[in-house]
Amino acid sequence: MSLRIYICCKQVPDVAMPFQIKEGQLIKDGLNYILNAYDASSVEEALVLKAEHGAHITLVLIGPDKAKEALRKGLAMGADDAVHLNDEAFEGCDSHAAAKILAKFFADKEYDFILTGKQSQDMDMGLTGGILAHHLDIPYVTNAVGLKADLSNKKVSVKRQGDDGQEMIDIPFPCLVTCSNDMNDPRIPSLKGIMSSKKKPLEVVALDGLGLTTSEVGSAGSPTNLVSWAEPDKRQAGQKFEGDADELVGTLMDKLANDAKVI
Amino acid sequence: MHLQLNEDQKMIQESARDFAVKFVAPKAKELDETQKFPTELVGQAAEMGFMGVAIPEQYGGSGLDYVSYCCVIEEVARYCGSTSVILSVNNSLACEPLMIAGTEEQKKEWLTPLASGQKLGCFGLTEPNSGSDCGSMKTNAVKKGNDWVINGAKIWITCGTDSDTFIVFTSTDAAAGNRGITAFIMDRSTPGLSVLPMHGKMGIRASGLSELVFEDVVIPDSQRLGEENKGFKIAMNTLNSGRIGIAAQAVGISRGAFEESAKYAQQRVQFGKPISRQQSVANHIADMAVQIDAARLLTWKAASMKDHGQNYSTVSAMAKMKAGECVSWVTNKAVQVHGGYGYIKEYDVERFFRDGRICEIYEGTTEIQKLVVSRAVLG
Repeated sequence: MSLRIYICCKQVPDVAMPFQIKEGQLIKDGLNYILNAYDASSVEEALVLKAEHGAHITLVLIGPDKAKEALRKGLAMGADDAVHLNDEAFEGCDSHAAAKILAKFFADKEYDFILTGKQSQDMDMGLTGGILAHHLDIPYVTNAVGLKADLSNKKVSVKRQGDDGQEMIDIPFPCLVTCSNDMNDPRIPSLKGIMSSKKKPLEVVALDGLGLTTSEVGSAGSPTNLVSWAEPDKRQAGQKFEGDADELVGTLMDKLANDAKVI
Repeated sequence: MHLQLNEDQKMIQESARDFAVKFVAPKAKELDETQKFPTELVGQAAEMGFMGVAIPEQYGGSGLDYVSYCCVIEEVARYCGSTSVILSVNNSLACEPLMIAGTEEQKKEWLTPLASGQKLGCFGLTEPNSGSDCGSMKTNAVKKGNDWVINGAKIWITCGTDSDTFIVFTSTDAAAGNRGITAFIMDRSTPGLSVLPMHGKMGIRASGLSELVFEDVVIPDSQRLGEENKGFKIAMNTLNSGRIGIAAQAVGISRGAFEESAKYAQQRVQFGKPISRQQSVANHIADMAVQIDAARLLTWKAASMKDHGQNYSTVSAMAKMKAGECVSWVTNKAVQVHGGYGYIKEYDVERFFRDGRICEIYEGTTEIQKLVVSRAVLG
């Protein structure tokens, strides 16, 4: 007996690289695209579980042709196969539409659990996992920082990072867990892994293969209307104070009490 | 004409970059200071498949092309010259002669552990009084029955301190000069072989520099690499491809110096604005970017020609010459952009300045590359 794991992943612009916004639009030329870091942690966690229990790991991704690179990265890390949900009609999906597409894909699949990043690095919504679990009517836990599988009792024990500390939650198979990047340190694909990723099965599924219509997906099927992009305000420079220790403490206390009003 | 990496090469570049950032960068400064051979890092590089990148899988390598190999070397050199040259020596100078001239048995016995990273190898050609003029070497091998008896010494042997396998070039017909050189494969445990560590290098200080001394070393004829008196050709063919790796190393060190300089110039404020907006500094940054791109394109051209079975010896000399001069120039300007901060060890450009300098010296000096190129273009 081994685990059957699906991982939902996304290709995102590398947010560590500079990006430009012109007239409210994001300039996509010159952006470098990577596998979403939270999804990379999901892949790593699945590979750790595979080493412990045995598992078949399938990656699932919605995205254009270019997004295949992210699937290859996951395959190079060690996933077994991949499904690329690729159709022009998927362009502009928000979390709601993406979850709808994924729910259709998973409707006839059998699995012990689905892993996905707790959010994507580009939009940082953190909604797709929860909405997908709702559509599939399965239990889910978000923001996992630890995961153990119990095959005999058919459950996963999840350690999740909550606002006030870490929570330990058990949920039965089948279920969904969204993963934090604090969960692990994703492995770097070796040269052997990269070359073997070319030989692993990669199935492409388009809109008609899912039984969806164009009005249900992409921008048309997304209630979120992205009006425009804007750069965050530049951080203001800090203030420097000079003087001896007594003066500095006095000045600081005054600023904290009267300007910042935090004490 | 395609001047872009293909999908596989981009993935390899990304993995090498991630490896360099995660494992190499945090140790580079300490390696330079302690001159300690990075055994753990080399083990991690072996797990990645970096010790025999372009060696066929059947001999323990990763079976990739030379452009991919250049990407790996550049990414590692971006952070650490010492680690990158260790990879270069094993890939090019130890594995390549065995690929060029090894028998099937020799490849199985000696190449496979090197290319898979189970063992480490090095290359012994240079002697105290025989550098560019290798035909004047004094280390000699005399045949006795079915064995060879080797006496002499080699110097400036990178990785020698930690190598398991040595490719050694000897004079077997002193009067014949270059036509009297024979190559041998030698195990570290061979009686009569002494490895003497050398310290005090200016740069690439953790790369295990050593002297090799041979005192009546007896080697069976089965460890002769290639034909008798045909060793010069093996050495030159090895260096032809080795130079591509050194060019990639020079590009990597240059890139490190450039990236650190660009970052510093945007942060350092003088006369009320970042120095990157002072024209004289901006010009340095632009010149660096152009030099590096030119050197990289020539390096990749040489690698691609090798991958396509074309005669690449002139272009590899061009690449080594261009990239070697590039790294000396770029690291010098990087120190200049940093001003006083570029002259102390706290900033990486000080190390890059020292590490890069060797790229104009080893595996054929810039002057020797000019000789090769001038002979080719003058006919």
